[in-house]
Amino acid sequence: MDERSLHIVIVGHVDHGKSTLVGRLFHDTGSLPAEKMNEIRRACEELGKPFEFAYIMDNFEEERKKGITIDIAHTFFATPKRRYVIIDAPGHKEFLKNMVSGTSQAEAALLLVDISQGIQEQTLRHCFVLSLLGVRQIAVIVNKMDLVGYSKERFDAVSRDAIAALARFNLAPAYIIPISASAGENVAAKSPISSWYEGPTVLEALDSFEPLKVEEKGLRFPVQDVYEVSGKSVPVGRVEAGRLKPGQEVVVYPGKTKTRITCVMKFMEEGMTEAGTGECVGITAEAALKRGDILADTEPAFITSSVRANIFWMVDQDYRLGLPMVFKCATQEAIGRIDKIYKRFDPATEKTEDDLTVIKPAEVAEVEITLDGMVAIDSFSEIPELGRFVLEHAGTPVAGGIII
Amino acid sequence: MDHLTALENKSIFIIREAYYRFKDIAMLWSVGKDSTTLLWLCRKAFFGKIPFPVIHIDTTYKFPEMYKFRDEYAKKWGLDLIVGRNDGQVEAGMGPGKGTKLDCCNELKTNALKQTIAKHGFKALLLGIRRDEHGIRAKERIFSPRDEQFKWNYEDQPAELWDQYRSTVADDNHCRVHPILHMTEMDIWKYVQRENIPISELYLSKEGKRFRSIGCAPCCNPIDSAASSVDEIVTELETTTTSERAGRAQDKEDAYTMQKLRSLGYM
Amino acid sequence: MSKVMVLGIDGAPFTLLETYLQKGVLPNLARILKAGHGLSQMDAPVPDVSSTSWASFFTGTNPAEHGIFGFMELKPGTYSMRFPSYEDVRTPAVWEIAGGTSGMRDSGLKAAFAGAFASPAGSVVLNIPQTYPARPMNGVLTAGFVCPDLKKGTYPAAAYDYLSSMGYMSDVDSNKAVEDSAAFFKEVALSLEKRAKAYEHFLEKGGWELFIGVVTETDRVHHFFYDAAFDASHAFNGEFLAVYDRLDRLVGSLYDRFMDLTGGQGKFMTMSDHGFTAIKTEVYLNAWLRENGWLTLDSGKEYYEQVALGSRAFCMDPSRIYLNVRGKYPRGSVDPSQRASVASELKDALKAISGPDGSKVMKEVYLKEDIYRGRLMDEAPDLVCVANDGYDLKGNLKKSEVFGRSAFRGMHTRHDAHCIMPLGMMTSGRLHIEKLAPLILESLAGADTATR
Repeated sequence: MDERSLHIVIVGHVDHGKSTLVGRLFHDTGSLPAEKMNEIRRACEELGKPFEFAYIMDNFEEERKKGITIDIAHTFFATPKRRYVIIDAPGHKEFLKNMVSGTSQAEAALLLVDISQGIQEQTLRHCFVLSLLGVRQIAVIVNKMDLVGYSKERFDAVSRDAIAALARFNLAPAYIIPISASAGENVAAKSPISSWYEGPTVLEALDSFEPLKVEEKGLRFPVQDVYEVSGKSVPVGRVEAGRLKPGQEVVVYPGKTKTRITCVMKFMEEGMTEAGTGECVGITAEAALKRGDILADTEPAFITSSVRANIFWMVDQDYRLGLPMVFKCATQEAIGRIDKIYKRFDPATEKTEDDLTVIKPAEVAEVEITLDGMVAIDSFSEIPELGRFVLEHAGTPVAGGIII
Repeated sequence: MDHLTALENKSIFIIREAYYRFKDIAMLWSVGKDSTTLLWLCRKAFFGKIPFPVIHIDTTYKFPEMYKFRDEYAKKWGLDLIVGRNDGQVEAGMGPGKGTKLDCCNELKTNALKQTIAKHGFKALLLGIRRDEHGIRAKERIFSPRDEQFKWNYEDQPAELWDQYRSTVADDNHCRVHPILHMTEMDIWKYVQRENIPISELYLSKEGKRFRSIGCAPCCNPIDSAASSVDEIVTELETTTTSERAGRAQDKEDAYTMQKLRSLGYM
Repeated sequence: MSKVMVLGIDGAPFTLLETYLQKGVLPNLARILKAGHGLSQMDAPVPDVSSTSWASFFTGTNPAEHGIFGFMELKPGTYSMRFPSYEDVRTPAVWEIAGGTSGMRDSGLKAAFAGAFASPAGSVVLNIPQTYPARPMNGVLTAGFVCPDLKKGTYPAAAYDYLSSMGYMSDVDSNKAVEDSAAFFKEVALSLEKRAKAYEHFLEKGGWELFIGVVTETDRVHHFFYDAAFDASHAFNGEFLAVYDRLDRLVGSLYDRFMDLTGGQGKFMTMSDHGFTAIKTEVYLNAWLRENGWLTLDSGKEYYEQVALGSRAFCMDPSRIYLNVRGKYPRGSVDPSQRASVASELKDALKAISGPDGSKVMKEVYLKEDIYRGRLMDEAPDLVCVANDGYDLKGNLKKSEVFGRSAFRGMHTRHDAHCIMPLGMMTSGRLHIEKLAPLILESLAGADTATR
C-alpha cells in the first residue's frame, strides 16, 4: 500500500447523494467496524426503512463533531492501493469560504451529479472553485442511475452537459461514471446492469489518480525565523517543495544571491542528510538569512513586485481600489494594494460586473496587486505553497488568492 | 511522511509562527499529557531551549505526583517556570468544599491565569487543547483572540487559510495559540509512545485503576483499567467501546443543559 | 382530512393577547379571529413548566403517562441529577401517531387512532421543547429547548444542513438579558428572523400534513421583562411590543400562506404552554423546608447530594416536593408506611405559608393522587404546589431566605395559557392543553373519526 494517502473532495449539489456515496465507499471497502454497521442496521429496521447508506456519513459526522470518532482529522477509507482522506466540503449555498479552506489540499475531486436533476447552479459553483484551486483530477459521478433504469441515453445526455460545464472552467473530467450509490452499482464492483458502460468503477478511478508530487519539484525553503543555537545563527523553516541537503548550492530569492547550505538539523536527530517536503528544520548557511528569504535550487516562476491573481473576497465589507493591505505568501510579507481589477464576478452566476473599482463580498476577481517590494512566487498548480497568498487588512484576512 | 511526523511538523510550524508574531508569549503547562506533549514539541521547535516562560496554574489541589513531575522536568529541561496562583482566594479557603465546582474553577484556575497574564503582560499563550475534546472546539481556530474578559467570539472569527495566521490582536486582548488542535487523544498517545515523552505516573494503572485525565485531585476520578504502560494505553484506547465514549458525550450535553437552565432561573 | 398548522407561542398569556388585541397591537391575529377563529383561555398541566407542558401538548397525555415532570430528575435510587430528554417521553407524539413512526410507544390516543390514517401523514415539527435528540420520523423535526447540538436535534440530515447554513438559532442567550439588555433584544429579533425564515422554508418545501412551529423568544422576553408588558413608561416597553409586532406579522404571513396552500381548508391554531404574570417575590421552597425542619443540607456537597439523613422532603424546580422515603433514596428518612400522613401534614403546612404582605402564597397544594394518573405514578413528585399570581416558586438549593427577588420579572401561570382555533373545533367547557392532541389528530384523519 502507498504510504501517502490521497486527499479527495466530493462536491456537487447537496441533495445529489453525497452522504449515500460516502457511506457506500466506507461500506464496500470494509472501512467500517461491524459494530457500527449493526447499530445503523438496527436503527433502520426500527424505522421499517431499508438500510440507508447515508446514515453512515451522518453517524460519522455526528461522532466527529463530538470527538467520538478516534481518527478525527482523518475520515478515511482504504483500497488495497492506498488510503483516501475525504475533505469535508459543506454543500450549502454560502459555501465559497468553506470550500476554499476545504479544498485547499484536495488532490482529486469527485463531482456528483444526480441523473434526474442534471447539472445545477451549485454544481457550477463547485466546478469553478475546483478550477480556481487548480484541482485537475476530476471524475464526474452520475448518481441515481437506478431511477432511470440505467438508461444509456439519459447518461449520455448528462455526460455531455457535464463536459460542457467543466469546459467553461478549462477543466475536463478524467472519467464519467454511471453509478447507483444506494444500490452499490459501479462504486466498488462493476455493475452487470449497466453493461453498456466500459469504464472504471469509482474506486478504480480513484486508484488511478496521482498525488501532487511537490517533493519532486525544485527546492523551496522559505525562512520562517532565525534562532541562535549554541552561539550559531540557525535559520528555521519548512521545506515547501523539493528536498534540502547539506552542501547544496541554493539561490536566495527574491534578492538572487547565492549561498551554500552547510548543515540541516532537527533537535535530537544527529547527522541529517536530507529534509523532504513538509519537514520543519533548522539550517546553517554561508550567508546571513532573514524571515521571508526563499531558498531555491530552481528559479521561481515570478520575481516581481506586481502580482496578477484570482482572489476571493471573504469578508462582508467591500474592497475599494487603492486600500492598502498586507500580502502574505509563505513567510514573505509586503504592503500592497490592488491597482487594477480586470474582472469581477459572482462565482454562482459568472455574471461579470461593470464597476471595476470595487469588489463585493463573496465575489471573485482577477486583479493586479502592486507591492512595495519584490516577492518570489510560483503558480499554484506547480508549487501550491508559493502559489497562494492571503491579503490581510487590520490584522484580519480579507481575501485568499491563487497565482494564475 | 507518516501521520505522526506530519502532525509534528504542523505543530512545530505553528509554534515557530506564534513566537515570531508574539515575543511576549508563554506556554500553559498543566502537567497533563496534552500540554506535556506541547512542551516536548516546543523543545523540538527551539532545539532544546524554550525561549519563553512556561506557566503552571497551581490551584494547590493538584496531585502530589504532579508537583513532583513538574519540578523534576522543569529542572531537567531548564524551563523558565512561572507558578500562577490566586493567593487571595487560596488564603480565603476557596476549594471544592466551598461553593460550587464552577466557583472553585473560576477562582483558582481562570482568575489565577488572568492575574498571571496581567502581572507579566503576556500577549499570547500557547495552549495544548485538541479539537476532539469538545463539540464547541470544532469551531476553534489555531490563532484565537480572546478579549479582556477572556471571552471568545467564535461566531466572528476570521478564516485561517493556508497556514497564514492573524498577526495582531487589539491592545486589551491576548491571543491563544493552539499548536496541537489537530491532534486527537489517540494521536497524542501514539506520539507519546513513539517519542518516549515522559508522562505522569498517574496515567498508568495501579491496582486496576488509572487516570484518563489529570487535574485537581478532588475532582478527578480514576477509571478501571489494567493499562500500566503507554503501549497498553494505546491498545486499550483502540478497543474502547462506543458506549464509554457516548457516556462522556452525555456529560457534555448535561453541562450545556445545566448552563441553559441556570440562565432561566432554574437550579 | 385537513392539513393542520399549529403555531406555538411559548408563554403567551390569554389575558395579554386579549389586552393587546383590544389595543390594536396585533392586527394580524385580530384578522385571523375575524375569519372564523376563537381565542380561549387554557390550563397547563402541573407543574406549569415548559418541558412538562409541551410533552402534554404533543402526546395528549398526563405527566404520569408521558413521564416528564420537569427539566430535571434524580437518577433512581440516588440524589444525582439527570436531564430527561425526548427519549424519556414514554408516550408517542402526534406526528409519530399520524406518521406511523411511534414504534413501541403506546398511549390511549394511539389506540384511539389506530387505523385512522390510510397512509402515513408527514409532519414538520419545529422547535418544540423536550424533543431533543431528534429521532427519525416521517418529516422534519428540529428540537426546541434544550438543544445542546443542533445536528443531533434535527432530522433528517438535509434539514440540519439547511438550518446550519442559514445560521438558525435554537435559542437565545438569556444571560444577555441581564448583562446587556439591548444586545438581548437584538438577539431576540435576530433569532425571530431566523425562525421566520426557516419556518417559511419548510412550509414551502411541502411534504407535510401537520406543521407545528414554536416561537420561544416570547418566553425569554417575559422572564426578564414582563413588567414592561403594560407599562408604557418602562425603558423596554417599546422593545417588548416590537417582539409582539414581529410575532404578529410572522403569524399573519404563515397563516396566509397556509390558507393559500390548503385552499382555505386547512385548520389553523395558535397556543401557548402556560401563561405569564409579573413577579411580586420569588419563593424558595427548599429554604422554607429547611426553616421548618423538613430538610437538612450538607453544604460540603453539590445539588441534591446535599440532602442529609433526617430530611423528610426536598423540592425540585419549580414546585415539586419529593418525600425522602427510605428505600427510595440512599439517605431516606420517611418510613414508607408513613408516606400518606407525612404528605398530608406537609400539604397543610405548605398551604399555610403567607407572603411578606400577609397574603396566601399557595393557590393549591396537590397530592400526586389528585392530579396524576397513569403508570408512572411512582416517578411523580409526592406533592406539587401551585402559587397565587405573583409568587414565583423555586427549587433553588442555595438560598437561605424564603423570599427574595432576582433579575426575573415574569413567572409562569398555569391557568392563563391561550389557544386560538377554528370556531368549529371549539368545545364547551374549560380547555386543557392535553385536549389539543386529539383535536389535531381528528382534523388530520378526517371527519369520520371525530367520534373516536
